[in-house]
Amino acid sequence: MRQRSILGFAMAAAMLVMAQTPTMAQRKGGDIVIGISQAPPSLDAQITSAQAARNVTLHIFETLYARDENAKPVPELAEGVTVSPDGKTYVFPIRKGVKFHNGKQLDAKDVVASIERYRKIGASPALVAAIDTVEASGDHEVTIRLKNVQATFLDNLSSPRAPIAIYPASEAAKDAGKIDIIGTGPYKFVEYKPDSHVKLARYDGYTPNPKATGRDGFAGKKEAFLDTVTFRFMPEAGARSAALESGEIQFDETVDGPTAKRLGANPRFTVHKMVPFGLQVIKFNEAIAPGNDVNFRLAVQAALDMEEIMSIAYSDIYQMDPSWLYPGSAFYSTAGTDKYNQADLEVAKKLLAKSSYKGEKLTFIVDNLRANVDTATVIQQRLGELGIKVEISVADWPTVSKIGFTPQGWTFWTHGFGIEPYEGPGSVMAPWVNGLSQQAKDPEIDEIAAAFNSEMDEAKRKALFERFQRLMYDKAIAMKAGNYGIFQVSTAKLKNFKPYRIPRMWGVWLEP
Amino acid sequence: MTVFLIRRLCGALVVLLLVSLMSFALIWLVPGDPAAAFLDASATPDQIAALRHALGLDRSLAVQMVEWYGRVLQGDLGRSILLNRSVSEALVERLPVTLSLAALALAFAVVIGVAAGIVAAIHHNRWPDQAVMSASLLGLSVPDFWLGLVMVLVFAVSLGWLPSGGFTPFTEDPVGWARTVTLPALTLGLVQIGFIARMARASMLDTLGQDFMRTADAKGLSRLHIVLRHGLPNAMIPILTVIGIVAGALLGGAVIIEQVFSVPGIGRLIVGAVGSRDFPVLQGGLLFLAVVYLVINLVVDILYAVVDPRVRLS
Repeated sequence: MRQRSILGFAMAAAMLVMAQTPTMAQRKGGDIVIGISQAPPSLDAQITSAQAARNVTLHIFETLYARDENAKPVPELAEGVTVSPDGKTYVFPIRKGVKFHNGKQLDAKDVVASIERYRKIGASPALVAAIDTVEASGDHEVTIRLKNVQATFLDNLSSPRAPIAIYPASEAAKDAGKIDIIGTGPYKFVEYKPDSHVKLARYDGYTPNPKATGRDGFAGKKEAFLDTVTFRFMPEAGARSAALESGEIQFDETVDGPTAKRLGANPRFTVHKMVPFGLQVIKFNEAIAPGNDVNFRLAVQAALDMEEIMSIAYSDIYQMDPSWLYPGSAFYSTAGTDKYNQADLEVAKKLLAKSSYKGEKLTFIVDNLRANVDTATVIQQRLGELGIKVEISVADWPTVSKIGFTPQGWTFWTHGFGIEPYEGPGSVMAPWVNGLSQQAKDPEIDEIAAAFNSEMDEAKRKALFERFQRLMYDKAIAMKAGNYGIFQVSTAKLKNFKPYRIPRMWGVWLEP
Repeated sequence: MTVFLIRRLCGALVVLLLVSLMSFALIWLVPGDPAAAFLDASATPDQIAALRHALGLDRSLAVQMVEWYGRVLQGDLGRSILLNRSVSEALVERLPVTLSLAALALAFAVVIGVAAGIVAAIHHNRWPDQAVMSASLLGLSVPDFWLGLVMVLVFAVSLGWLPSGGFTPFTEDPVGWARTVTLPALTLGLVQIGFIARMARASMLDTLGQDFMRTADAKGLSRLHIVLRHGLPNAMIPILTVIGIVAGALLGGAVIIEQVFSVPGIGRLIVGAVGSRDFPVLQGGLLFLAVVYLVINLVVDILYAVVDPRVRLS
């Protein structure tokens, strides 16, 4: 007994020392330059859902609620929430003492003006579609009334996709893209040089959430140690890695597998793996034949070797996982996924024989991202073995996304879903509601999604998501190949970095 | 001379009209619009339609076209959808970057190319000639984006002499400007050196065989004096033509080099506008490049007339 308590004491002491170590090493100062592949279309966070914009804006702006490390909504600028028994009224006490970058104190009027602006011009109006009224019920209290019960309302409010960022009321009165970039986040805007960079500086007046203890997803304690953070727009991958090696940038947002391997062997650099970052989805156009034939879709699903696809498209950084959510997510489940990764040509041939496919050439649309083209190529070859003729049509993203949301001109389309599985079941189901992605309504999916949105009981919601997932496989509405990740590389001097959905520059510091 | 200039200007206006019509046709033919740059794959058609309406993209092409020509005739290229500024402002911001890059590249290409061409011509069919011609053929065959990456690996990563990319304005820091612009300009220029060298060699060979050159030789003038004082000016007309073409090609080449070296110039602006379907920038940028190209050609035409009076007479 005595021995055990000594051991326990020793372990506790060791853990205390380990926990203390990073704190002791923390160092204020330093400038970091991050090479990012695309320039943000706008720094007005509310009007864009582009990843490039999120990388920057989520350092500047904050939301009422934000997602924690496991993507669960937790209070950020709100102290919490009281929900009325009928589930339609949400009262948010707003944190006091929070200052915008222009020195103004945050109050309820800013929150109301920001949410009202989002309702008018936000990039994801569906997030706030359930809101009936928003009003300041006190200097630091906001009351939101919903038209109908929405179980996902806090999920929506905390979505980082096109964040419902809180601006000063004076800025919230301005049109899209016309605001001065003023938020409450740990970094403030310094300058934006088109086609060159965005520069941010530490906001020393930042008020961290008093309830937060450490870095936690997009929420938590956002301690900024760096003096400045510059996001440099560098579209050429080779130029980014060269700049990293020559010391001009200290962080490369994304590198390919061979580059990560090469740089990882050099003690000057640290390779960070962010898995999963997205899931590879393969869509069918169900508006026209043969995509409208369930036997054809099931035949394709049975034929595909998902491991082959993932190992070629994302060599070194993929996860075989049948769920439409990421592992660790509250609703993660593998229910109904027995038809995942069958790679069975015999079964596929039988199903194809029952289908309406008559040997015609089918169009596979894909954007010019290498992994997506690789996915399409592997599928083309596999389906060739089955006797399905596929022609790949590669174009840039605006072209492909325009065609892919119309009922003509394509049979297959593959791309990544990154933020949707992170956001949760509601966002994963949304692309299939009203036949948006498959171009043909599926009443069962619409019914499940509607029930999910209004169901407040978590166990029942989980069951509804599992039903959705089973349906995706049983009807082969669309296919998931697997989860993919990204490699990020930083200077080894960057300490305490943990990869997440954006390269978070809070809680990290540079060693001399 | 005035008639000559008027004729050239009229031709230039026709070309500009064709370029603007083609840029409109391209926009009409290419699917996709700026909504894709703002919204991701999960955006609903309603969201996209609302954004298209807000951006004025749901109006008919004819209406957009009439409005655009009306504005352009008043010197207004319109407003960028994404950049929160006018197209003219966006172009003017980036003009010094691309011009300094192209000018330095042209200087590299002309000085080295003409010198190499002269050396090759003087040493006709001997090893310096063969060396220059082989090197110029190599230069012509190498893709500029590949050369750019090799230059970065050698001079930025391995030797650490110059930065791998970015741009420092001359007004902020002249040394920084020289450091950031050297590698992209050298890359851009190197590809064109071969072209100029080959033309300079051919033209110089032709001139060296003329009677007046033999006369100059017979008078006992030094070889250097003969070549530079009597040979070069007479060999310049075809070389000038090539320099005009190269200047235009440099502006086109800058589109790729600016991507490789992350230089915020007009080329990158246009590439970005293509990707994000920022139509006003695309139209304005193409029209602007066409104007620059035409001005260069006009200057070359005028220079012909200055160098060779026979051009004026004809």
